[in-house]
Amino acid sequence: MLEARAISRRFGRTLALDRVDFHARPGEIHALIGENGAGKSTLVGIIAGRLAADSGAVLLDGAALRSGASAAALRRARIAAVYQSPMLFERMTWEENLALGGFDAGAAPRELDAVAARARQIAAASGFDLPPPRAIVADRSVAERVRLAIVRALSFEPRVLILDEPTSLLAPAELKIFLAALGRLRAAGRIVVLVTHKLAEARAVADRITVMRRGRVVAELRAADTGEAELARLMIGALPMALARRPPPEPDPAAAPALTLAALTLVREGRRVLDEISLTVRPGEIVGLAGVDGNGQAELVEAIAGAVKLDAGSIAPAPGGAAVAVIPQHRDRDGLVLELPLWENLMLAAPLRARFAPRGLIGCGAARRFCADLLDRFAIRAAAGPACAAGALSGGNRQRLSVARALAGAPRAIVAHDICRGLDLGAAAQVHRGLAEFAAGGGAVLLISTDLDELLECCGRLLVMVRGRVHETADRDPERLGLLMAGAAE
Amino acid sequence: MFEAFAAATIAMATPILLAALGELLVERAGVINIGIEGAMLAGAFAAIAVAHATGGALAGVAAAIGAGAAINAIFAFVAVNLAVNQVVAGTAIDLLATGLTGVLYQRLFGATGRAFTVTPMRSIELGPLVRLPVIGRALFDQSALVYLALALVPAIAWIIGRSRFGLRLRAAGERPEAADALGLGVYRLRWIALLASGVLSGLGGAYLTLAYADTFVEGISAGRGYVALAVVIVGRWNAWGVAAASLMFGGAIALQFVLQATAATIPYQLFLALPYLLTVAVLALAGGQADAPSALGEPYVRP
Amino acid sequence: MRRLLAAALRPAGAIGCALGVVAIALALLGASPVAVAADLADGAFGNWIAFTDTLARATPLVFCGLAVAIAFHGALWNIGADGQLIVGALAAGAIGPALGGWPHTLAIAAIIGAGGLAGAIWGGLAGWLRARRNVNEVISTIMLNFIAAQLLSWAVHGPLMEPSGAFPASRKIAAAARLQLYFPPSRVNLAMLFALALAAVCEFGLFRTAPGFELRALGRNRRASAFFGVPIARLTAGAMALSGMLAGFGGAVQISAITHRLYETISPGWGYEAIAVALVARLSPLGIVPAALLFGALDNGSQAMQRADGISPQLVYVIQALVIIALLAFDASAAGGWREAFGAGAPAEPNAGAEGGDV
Repeated sequence: MLEARAISRRFGRTLALDRVDFHARPGEIHALIGENGAGKSTLVGIIAGRLAADSGAVLLDGAALRSGASAAALRRARIAAVYQSPMLFERMTWEENLALGGFDAGAAPRELDAVAARARQIAAASGFDLPPPRAIVADRSVAERVRLAIVRALSFEPRVLILDEPTSLLAPAELKIFLAALGRLRAAGRIVVLVTHKLAEARAVADRITVMRRGRVVAELRAADTGEAELARLMIGALPMALARRPPPEPDPAAAPALTLAALTLVREGRRVLDEISLTVRPGEIVGLAGVDGNGQAELVEAIAGAVKLDAGSIAPAPGGAAVAVIPQHRDRDGLVLELPLWENLMLAAPLRARFAPRGLIGCGAARRFCADLLDRFAIRAAAGPACAAGALSGGNRQRLSVARALAGAPRAIVAHDICRGLDLGAAAQVHRGLAEFAAGGGAVLLISTDLDELLECCGRLLVMVRGRVHETADRDPERLGLLMAGAAE
Repeated sequence: MFEAFAAATIAMATPILLAALGELLVERAGVINIGIEGAMLAGAFAAIAVAHATGGALAGVAAAIGAGAAINAIFAFVAVNLAVNQVVAGTAIDLLATGLTGVLYQRLFGATGRAFTVTPMRSIELGPLVRLPVIGRALFDQSALVYLALALVPAIAWIIGRSRFGLRLRAAGERPEAADALGLGVYRLRWIALLASGVLSGLGGAYLTLAYADTFVEGISAGRGYVALAVVIVGRWNAWGVAAASLMFGGAIALQFVLQATAATIPYQLFLALPYLLTVAVLALAGGQADAPSALGEPYVRP
Repeated sequence: MRRLLAAALRPAGAIGCALGVVAIALALLGASPVAVAADLADGAFGNWIAFTDTLARATPLVFCGLAVAIAFHGALWNIGADGQLIVGALAAGAIGPALGGWPHTLAIAAIIGAGGLAGAIWGGLAGWLRARRNVNEVISTIMLNFIAAQLLSWAVHGPLMEPSGAFPASRKIAAAARLQLYFPPSRVNLAMLFALALAAVCEFGLFRTAPGFELRALGRNRRASAFFGVPIARLTAGAMALSGMLAGFGGAVQISAITHRLYETISPGWGYEAIAVALVARLSPLGIVPAALLFGALDNGSQAMQRADGISPQLVYVIQALVIIALLAFDASAAGGWREAFGAGAPAEPNAGAEGGDV
């Protein structure tokens, strides 16, 4: 029995966990669900010993694991975790990655061979394949990396296996194999904790479900006794009213394309990360680009932003100008300068820089007033107004700032990558409404996401990106689209 | 003449190699330590001061080890535990060592900076190998520190490439948060690497004062620690590469002894600047940092 | 005003800590810290000449401090202000003797411009190597320091050596190229005003111009800057060249106003000291001025300290190092680093967007 008692944890001014209790029993798959930011990852981080709790205790079979105990101590207590982005060492071989786990070996060839042999046993028991000998992790697919991370976690022979949203990176076909493997772990008497925000998945595979909202546990249910509607209500509180679907905007067929990519090709370390990508987005339409993470979307966005040098192909309008605004996937890493004030963050966008620093001199007053007005219009809550450092904003407010900045530059096209990651439903709806209004006013949008539901709801045309290539599809059936995303149609 | 050049090359390469092998461990763990120059200087001073006081070269070497490790311990606390900017912290360590050795030197040996000498470390002849042409004396009639440096090359190559400790060290340098999640103890690994590097830098300094110059002058390390940093880059973060690069730089420094006598028309400053010019040129040609550990130089804060 | 005081609090604390440690060390070495401090203060501020010497010593530190601050704002770790100052002095010393027939203003402009240009080339080279060849600027600037020192040594022993050939120094520069000393024998001169003006210009440039903003954004988030079309290569090379130019001015001014000729030891390590100056000033160009004055006073006082107490002036290096370390430690503590260092967990914001930051 795994127990967490009255766990609290604070990050700065945010109380991420507020006296949370959690129980999971041997031989069960326990789903931990909640919206992004509900505290799921913080909770499992504390259980796995990656984070320290401010107060409270974690107990395994009645024995307390010291709060803030070293990860080594927890490993002895046999709690292993697989995190959202698999924590692998990309430039090492997969055997070395496993040797760093429960196999606890060196990197001599003999040792690595032994590691591989034992790993193949574990993998076979779970129904997994492993890469060829001495393959470098960076060259393997996302699904293979998730499997490696799971095999490494299993190498500790854990009593408790925590899986923190590993499925968000898997294509539907891979997901099935993966969920079946979970069943085998349950049969082996392990405690499996599956963190997810996908209700269907939780219902399908879990025995029990714990729902979190805003740092608290709001319910613990048997999966058989509940339905998706109830879970959604528990997760979100009250369903937002303003989610009425509107028809996706229609493009003006006569208008010239606002964004044209012609045979974009980008080669990295011998791999064609972008492989002759051609697409157009016309004024007034929202085009969806679906795909499992890591199929070249990030590079595509970088290319459109002009942040990488292409090996072939062309982009019109040329990158770096005011005509196309880009909202990157990782807003903190790629989109904002957290130490700088909000009004200066706005000026990161080229058109706003040109507007408030004509001839190179910054008009501070005008830029600040413009920023204050934008904060108002997009309901961005910043205690100190425009002078507030971007890092002091909450995630949702940072995202709204990102979107507001893109819109404020009055571009002809917006390329938005994964803009709803980390947003609650209300905030996501606001962001989507902003884009829809932009399209209705004649703007062109390329919306890149791993979330099919989001794309089906917002977009007119749909494209699928697999291994650096883009295919257009008229199919709107999630199941078949999922297969396309997994590359099964090739 | 070639014989003299070969001997001088080994002599000049040894302190650089010792320091660079230490820095290699540190960088593979994800830390860049500009303070290595300071650790060398501290080692050089401690070696001669203690050897002078006790009359024993061995005591001097032990003191150099202690001084190098102590200097790096300060760096480790600031750069690892407090997770501050490593370049700035390293620069402070260099200033600290320059100042400390300067002040202590004057305090202990007088304001005039009276040159003092000690009995140098004896070189050890390795039997008949010494009679090999050209490289015989260069390789097999040297101080124990030279043999140690050469022996450390395969040892450190093995540690980094094959051993369990080395694998963990690399993990800390590639993705520290993932290494910590596996319970590998990133801070501990980085401390170990830095202490080992302090020992090696101290030995490099001891070689300068006890085996090469037989005396101390202020700033005797003369940028060799910085050259060691470049050596690690040129050597592509690999012990064998580091050894080859050290020999190249040792040769560049040794050139002045050979050529200065024969080519008096060339200003000697050119020879003195040669290792530094070579560093810039080689880095410009070798270019990028593609082989650098992914997390090199980034302060890591435990979550 | 309150914000200004708050900003000065940590640097003041760091300096206090550093001096405290040094006092203890001096006591251990058998010197009286009180006497040493008194001699130091007397040497720095004891009389009009001592005070103006402090100003003269602080002047190159302002130039180099600005150079370091500008580069550091762009996360370009320019450790090479010393070399840039040296080549600036070298250029000034080289053309200075030839400016005999020139009008005073023009000669001054030429000698200072030459210094700035040489420094810009020296710094710009490191910037170009970084931007185009991805060469670590820390190492290249350090190497360029050594190369500059040898270049200077060669110049004063060779082509620029004064006619008698007795001393390793250059010929005196022409009178027209010398900055006037206003209250001789004190060394008060126009260069001090020039330094103040440059500090103001740098402050304006960094915080009120687009390139200044881009440089600050680049230094704080390189990836985001790339995403939003900040011209990284141009900024890198440009900022390093500008940084080198500022340090080069410092070298030229030193020749023009103070020494009037080149010596091998023209810089006592100002470029390194400038790192401490810039950090104490929190990289604020205007803050460089008081920080440089403080370190200039330490430098100047240390000469008197050596005469009176027999303590090597290199003690100043120890103080600089301890100030930097204390300041870094204080900053880390403000950011939660101390709690972190002792395992109590950091109060960092959860960061859902960053890779692996799935807290």
